[in-house]
Amino acid sequence: MTEALQQNIAVVGGGPGGYAAAFLAADLGMKVTLIDREQNPGGVCLYRGCIPSKALLHVAKLIGESRHANNWGIEFGDPRIDVARLRSFKEGVVNKLTGGLGQIAKARKVQYIRGDASFENSNTVRIAKNAGGEDSLTFDRIILATGSRPAVVPSLKLDSQRMLDSTSALDLKDVPDTLLVIGGGYIGLELGTVYAALGSKVSVVEMTGGLLPGADRDLVLPLYKQLEKVFDAILLNTTVTAVKEEASGIRVCFDGKDVKEREKVFDKVLVSVGRKPNSEIPGLDRTQVRVGERGFIQVNKHLQTDDPAIYAIGDVVGEPMLAHKASHEGRTAAEHIAGHKVAFEPNAIPAVVFTDPEIAWTGLTETQAEKDGREIKVAKFPWAASGRAMTVDRTEGLTKLILDPGTERVLGVGIVGAGAGELIAEGTLAIEMAALAKDIALTIHPHPTLSETVMQSAEVFFGTSTDLYRPRR
Amino acid sequence: MTEFKLPELGENVHQGDLVRLMISPGTTVAEGQAVMELETDKAVVEVPSSVSGTVKDVLVKLGEKIKVGQVIFTVENGAGGKRVEARAPSAPTAKSEPKPATTAPKTAPSEANPVQSASPKATTPAPIVPSESSEVSEFKLPELGENIHQGDLVRLMISPGAQVSEGQPVMELETDKAVVEVPSSLSGIVKDVLVSQGEQIKVGQLIFTLEPGATSQTHTQQPSRAEESHDHARMAFQAAIQSEGKTEEQALPPDQPPAAAVATFSMPLHLDRAAGAENRGPVPAAPHVRRLARELGIDIHNVPGNGPGGRISEADVKMYAKSVIVAVASGTGPGATHLKQPALPDFGKWGKIERVSMRGVRRKTAEHMWEAWSAIPHVTQQDKADITELEQLRTKFGPKAAEAGGKMTVTAIALKVCASALKIFPQFNASIDMEKEEIVYKQFINIGVAVDTDRGLLVPVIRDVEKKNIVELAAELTGLSKKARDKKLSPADMEGGTFTITNLGGIGGTGFSPIVNYPEVAILGLSRSSMEPVWMNGKFEARMVLPLSLSYDHRLIDGADAARFLRWIAEAFEQPFLLSVQG
Ligand SMILES: Cc1cc2nc3c(=O)[nH]c(=O)nc-3n(C[C@H](O)[C@H](O)[C@H](O)COP(=O)(O)OP(=O)(O)OC[C@H]3O[C@@H](n4cnc5c(N)ncnc54)[C@H](O)[C@@H]3O)c2cc1C
Repeated sequence: MTEALQQNIAVVGGGPGGYAAAFLAADLGMKVTLIDREQNPGGVCLYRGCIPSKALLHVAKLIGESRHANNWGIEFGDPRIDVARLRSFKEGVVNKLTGGLGQIAKARKVQYIRGDASFENSNTVRIAKNAGGEDSLTFDRIILATGSRPAVVPSLKLDSQRMLDSTSALDLKDVPDTLLVIGGGYIGLELGTVYAALGSKVSVVEMTGGLLPGADRDLVLPLYKQLEKVFDAILLNTTVTAVKEEASGIRVCFDGKDVKEREKVFDKVLVSVGRKPNSEIPGLDRTQVRVGERGFIQVNKHLQTDDPAIYAIGDVVGEPMLAHKASHEGRTAAEHIAGHKVAFEPNAIPAVVFTDPEIAWTGLTETQAEKDGREIKVAKFPWAASGRAMTVDRTEGLTKLILDPGTERVLGVGIVGAGAGELIAEGTLAIEMAALAKDIALTIHPHPTLSETVMQSAEVFFGTSTDLYRPRR
Repeated sequence: MTEFKLPELGENVHQGDLVRLMISPGTTVAEGQAVMELETDKAVVEVPSSVSGTVKDVLVKLGEKIKVGQVIFTVENGAGGKRVEARAPSAPTAKSEPKPATTAPKTAPSEANPVQSASPKATTPAPIVPSESSEVSEFKLPELGENIHQGDLVRLMISPGAQVSEGQPVMELETDKAVVEVPSSLSGIVKDVLVSQGEQIKVGQLIFTLEPGATSQTHTQQPSRAEESHDHARMAFQAAIQSEGKTEEQALPPDQPPAAAVATFSMPLHLDRAAGAENRGPVPAAPHVRRLARELGIDIHNVPGNGPGGRISEADVKMYAKSVIVAVASGTGPGATHLKQPALPDFGKWGKIERVSMRGVRRKTAEHMWEAWSAIPHVTQQDKADITELEQLRTKFGPKAAEAGGKMTVTAIALKVCASALKIFPQFNASIDMEKEEIVYKQFINIGVAVDTDRGLLVPVIRDVEKKNIVELAAELTGLSKKARDKKLSPADMEGGTFTITNLGGIGGTGFSPIVNYPEVAILGLSRSSMEPVWMNGKFEARMVLPLSLSYDHRLIDGADAARFLRWIAEAFEQPFLLSVQG
């Protein structure tokens, strides 16, 4: 404890991992320096990830709902979209949040240095400051939170204004007539959803046989059905073999067993084929930090690298590359440096795909259980039986519990449907608290809400659901 | 007339052997005054009276087995007589039943009314024993265990005005090994607290003082208390050590080659990998419970959960922590290497049997011997020493030793001889650390001497033997043996040995194979010396011959070295002039 008081630490990278670590370290009495290139802390998540994408997705949802209102006898007509104002709304959100973080850093006496960090040795960081000049500073401990960046595939590399990655897509320069999204992962689908709502004809191409590879198929299906309506085309089992710039757009060549059209021209192409860890930090070879084959910095449960002076957290140490995982790791690292006996060992990390409908899951998935050969029981409650889902006319959803057959403990929760992202929190708490299906069934949930579906799926497991009759086994 | 019955002694302690009776008819007893000592299967417990008055009849006898509720004595003109349900102060609950030790005393300061608890009341967890003579009102940091000299105060559980009772944890110290709860050895009301959170505290440092008056002191000789706090510290320490090395898994498995083409999705599908756990599945324990386990240095996956679906509660973790420590300390835990004893047949089929609980020293001895025997590949080397000349010397120096309060015994001389041998053959003064694959050479020579007491085998340790001369050693040995027989040995008196001597010569025998006192690596057994014909100078001569039996750990010591070592010892006995008596 006393030792922690005197520690002088640096955090390289100001994303959700970095600033969470820096702020907690300051609260624990350490002298903290936070280094990032941006004007304020925030990282990818706040500047060009979670936050701007969610601001735009909110707008997309509103547009979707306004169209949906036709079903209920309400017509709004086609929206008039002022892209410049939409962009400034999004930028306003980003600036407010990142500016707030800058204030908090000051209030906590975290020294924020804008610049590029490299290593002189395990304890010494050289900072090429944005403002010019260089600093060379020595620290007791350094936390690497350098995050990740969009992955680049050589065959899709093309220097053109028409080629987008998630960052430039979020800049929202304009709304192209046609957009091809390469990669059916969550970032591609989220951004595709935004552009589709704003009026682009969006096509998605995915190499594997389904969208959101790895997610349970029964959760993806309702989304797929919705996206089929919203998107122009969803090309599965298809790879893009080449991209060429032409006067009218980008000519894209497709290959795959289901391919009908071998080539097509798009106004813009968004490449979202995954993210790459930012582990190529200059001078890292002067430390004992070890980088794995996929570029992730290797750490143990305490987020320690092989170098005793250096910790690493967030996207740069591995999947899932999610902001909440990064910040939890950041806090764990700070506590470990302070001498607490802690480790990063969650029982569940929730994931949310903010499409419409949303998909969310936490803990064990059916897909993973199958892969591991682990026996599970699954209890599903289709939203068609939910009063609340009916009142909002969104009955395509599904809530399911993945249970341990012996103990009936909740091991995983999967939800697809409107607002699934908010509902998943209960599932994570249930897993972390080792709740049993019975606990969930016996917990009173407010009526009428979609949260009831969590309780109802547990009731389904016992064959006693009020709202869903299933013949007794 | 009032009766005093044996009160509850602690959970699962229902009876004990009366080993000391401190009253007789006519004695005046006061409430709280110790009246007898019981040996339970956990420890020796001092039982305080709950009544005051003049003892009329004593209804129990020394050596008798006494059950809870049994009438012990009656008093006339008794002033007390209220039923005291309180537990005997020294019931060593922490050893076997962790619950009362942590839960009951912890709640005491908030619940107990200080005024009320100044005198023993039915609800106080530990009755206060007023001490008549030397009133100790300062609590200093006691010994925490071997090699623990200080710690950081991470949690202080008392403040001025708080009521503390003996055995109640008053603070948590973080040592370099583990977080240790420190129990008070005093009861009373806290006056001043002289330490603060975050401070580094050394053994012996003053922690708090008590308000004058309502204080009481631990009887330091009382084995139960000493053992308890010792065990407690050791427990935490061992558990921490145990868990080390298990927690350092790499967060990521060996990297797979990059996916064939483009990997699109990276969501938490491989949580186990991301989290760095091996594939053991999520443990059914809430986050704060898992963190507690980590703080205690326990692998949560080993903790049995008592909740629904095997859910592990905070209490389960604490319970497990204590059991691990007790198990490790007694060698039955996960650290122990021996196998379970095969099931016993039903002896009753063949005749009448009696089952007697294996208590105290006997049980400890059984565990320790089993552990030593299963851990160490034993070999015993035999030799003989001609001690004819030594015997003359022994007679000559006898009076000198007597003057110093000791007895010039063969064992005392053997101490000196062995210390010299150990200096020359350091591998006999070592231990093996198989886990680290290291040999631990000790740069000090502490020799244990097996003492046969009516309680069983005890091994007090004489420290720095090489720095003492035979007369000093004789005096110290005599003192320690007496202490052992009077049950006055503290755990510290029996710790830290590097070699052991066991002398059965007083009884007889021509040789035996002693069991090495683990974690030492050798033990010297002495048998009865006798006159034997020895071929000398071309004829048989009558010589006094001492049979020597050296058992050693064959992992570390080779047969030839053992033969040399024992020969050296034999020669040292044979040529006492080589050993300076003043030595
Ligand atoms: C479009 C998009 C949407 C997303 N949506 C979500 C979502 O909804 N929910 C979610 O949980 N996650 C989402 N993510 C992922 C999330 O943004 C990341 O998981 C998160 O930002 C990782 O945080 P981090 O702290 O590891 O690093 P980052 O946020 O990547 O921050 C790293 C910072 O370090 C800086 N840096 C790197 N190297 C150096 C150096 N040498 N010197 C100085 N500074 C350096 C970088 O400039 C950057 O600012 C999304 C990502 C994208 C791209």
